Amino acid sequence: MPRLSEVQESFRIAVTSLRVNLMRSILTTAGVVVGVVLVVLMGWTIGGLDAVWEKTISIIGKDMIYIDKWNWAGGGNWRMMEARKDITLEQAEALSMRMESAEETIPITRKWGGSVSVGNTSLRCSIMGTTTAYGSTSAGTTEEGRFFNEVEEREAEKVVVVGYNIKKNLFPDESPIGKYLKIAGVPYRIVGVVEKRGFLFMDFIDNQVFIPLYAFRSSFGFFDRSFSVGLKAGSERMLDIVRDEAVGHMRSIRNVPPADPDDFSINEMKAFDQQAKNIRLGIWVVGMGLTILAFIVGSIGIMNIMYVSVTERTKEIGIRKAIGARRSSILSQFLIESAMLCVAGALIAFPIAQVIVGSAQYLAVHVFEQDWASVVSPLVPFDLLGIAVGVSILVGLLAGLFPAIKASGLDPVEALRSE
Amino acid sequence: MNTNIIEIADLVKRYEMGHEEVFALRNVSLTLGKNEYVAIMGPSGSGKSTLMNMLGCLDTPTSGTYFFNGANVSEMDDDDLAAIRNKEIGFVFQTFNLLPRATALQNVELPLVYAGLKSEERRKRAIEAITRVGLADRMDHRPNELSGGQRQRVAIARALVTAPSIILADEPTGNLDSKTGQDIMRLFGDLWRGGNTVILVTHEEDVARHAHRIIRLRDGLIESDEINPNATSV
Ligand SMILES: Nc1ncnc2c1ncn2[C@@H]1O[C@H](COP(=O)(O)OP(=O)(O)OP(=O)(O)O)[C@@H](O)[C@H]1O
Ligand SMILES: [Mg+2]
Repeated sequence: MPRLSEVQESFRIAVTSLRVNLMRSILTTAGVVVGVVLVVLMGWTIGGLDAVWEKTISIIGKDMIYIDKWNWAGGGNWRMMEARKDITLEQAEALSMRMESAEETIPITRKWGGSVSVGNTSLRCSIMGTTTAYGSTSAGTTEEGRFFNEVEEREAEKVVVVGYNIKKNLFPDESPIGKYLKIAGVPYRIVGVVEKRGFLFMDFIDNQVFIPLYAFRSSFGFFDRSFSVGLKAGSERMLDIVRDEAVGHMRSIRNVPPADPDDFSINEMKAFDQQAKNIRLGIWVVGMGLTILAFIVGSIGIMNIMYVSVTERTKEIGIRKAIGARRSSILSQFLIESAMLCVAGALIAFPIAQVIVGSAQYLAVHVFEQDWASVVSPLVPFDLLGIAVGVSILVGLLAGLFPAIKASGLDPVEALRSE
Repeated sequence: MNTNIIEIADLVKRYEMGHEEVFALRNVSLTLGKNEYVAIMGPSGSGKSTLMNMLGCLDTPTSGTYFFNGANVSEMDDDDLAAIRNKEIGFVFQTFNLLPRATALQNVELPLVYAGLKSEERRKRAIEAITRVGLADRMDHRPNELSGGQRQRVAIARALVTAPSIILADEPTGNLDSKTGQDIMRLFGDLWRGGNTVILVTHEEDVARHAHRIIRLRDGLIESDEINPNATSV
């Protein structure tokens, strides 16, 4: 083992040699710089994606369970789900009567591919018929006005709560509250605007309007429609209890024989986690591939320059050995030098990555006006600095190993003779 | 009671150059005692440097035995040899062999770095050594800012900073003019008077006459080994 004094000496030598060969050192670290920039960008992208995703599912409601004929996440057998009997409003209401653990039980019906219009402008959107209780979920939280109330619901009044994109597109510069828009030719009075909820690939969620269930029936009818039932568990802890209770009731309401599987699907936001995981994995695999490639190229460069350095300093090695440097002293000297080269690369890479990340985030938010980007951090995650430096040290040690072994094994007499 | 620092017997160093064999040392036996002052002389190629490298534990013999302070050097591993070079031997070379990027003081400190001394202790001893060779005012200069004689003084300070058992100098004045060479020889005389054991290689009779014992090599053999009754360093 090298002694403390030798390690200090090695650092001094390494710093001097980096300084003396500054340009060469910087060029040598290029591969490591690229590698570290890639690691950092990858980490930042995944972190950003997580933030967007977390924001999306938390806005739509982590504590919600939706019972539906269809499995939203696309799992399961499509034909089998198609063959299921529709969930009727009566079944939804029966469930509502029996449920005890859920804070709210909310029947929902939808018309996909509908449209709303103001004057001559019309906008494609989906139309949801539901009850007042939907307003108490995070998905129905209004940023302006209010959700429709029980009286409006009971009287099937022609009132509507609009999604964020509807407001933005149809009433860009004014408050829509009290204004009218037409749904299926019938004027509806706008009472509220729902908060922005969709981020990135979930953007379609803001292209929705909400109207009372019976107003929906008078415009579109309930014939041939399968209902969903939204169950508000109130907290994530309650999800299991609510799910178990709901499954039990639904099986009995729909007379499912005990041995048969459920003839309905349970949908939770968690179901989408898998998709987010796949995207993460994709980024990770591609990013890691590129990073490893960059580090391999980088370490070959470092190894090469360390061999050059050993050759250039053969005489110096001879002198050091003549006055008592042991093998391990010389070995550690060159290992420390090549590790420091790599760490220098990592330290150069960090500000570069920060500039890239900062400008990407700035451009997305301010120039391209991507709302989702605002939840993404404009700063490079700092724990990555630690990882990057750690990886660089490792790469440096590996790349420097063979040159260092060569240096430490030099014969002192021959080394002294070299010029 | 054995006061010999060095005992070598039947030392051979053979190089194989293709099919040819070159004997740098054919058969050398020698004992050196404490506080001797020895000059090794001989024509070019006679094996002086090879012998010095053996004595300094830089090189290993092809055959023969070498005892240093009673320890069998032939059986030592790399690290043991490095430790002996570090603690017991002070080398002075013809071409100085200082590290160009380090200051005079840092060069002198270097053996103490490999001895594992703490920084303050190193500095203290290095300043002592550099003062002894009369270069206290040049401590912070780099080798290229020093004259040849000054460089050799730094090298001598580096050799004696660990208080070694012997100081080995291979043509220490070979690259210096005669006036500067005499200054350096005076320094070796001082070291010897201070109790050090000094062995130096030289071509010049003028230099050799400082020593108390003169060993002449020829073709890898000891030709003569005589006491110098007219030694000038007394
Ligand atoms: N590495 C080597 N390979 C082959 N032969 C060598 C090697 N080192 C030394 N020799 C040979 O050994 C012999 C002695 O060399 P050495 O350097 O000891 O001579 P020297 O007496 O110091 O000469 P000089 O006065 O010129 O310095 C020479 O013939 C030389 O060619
Ligand atoms: Mg020689």
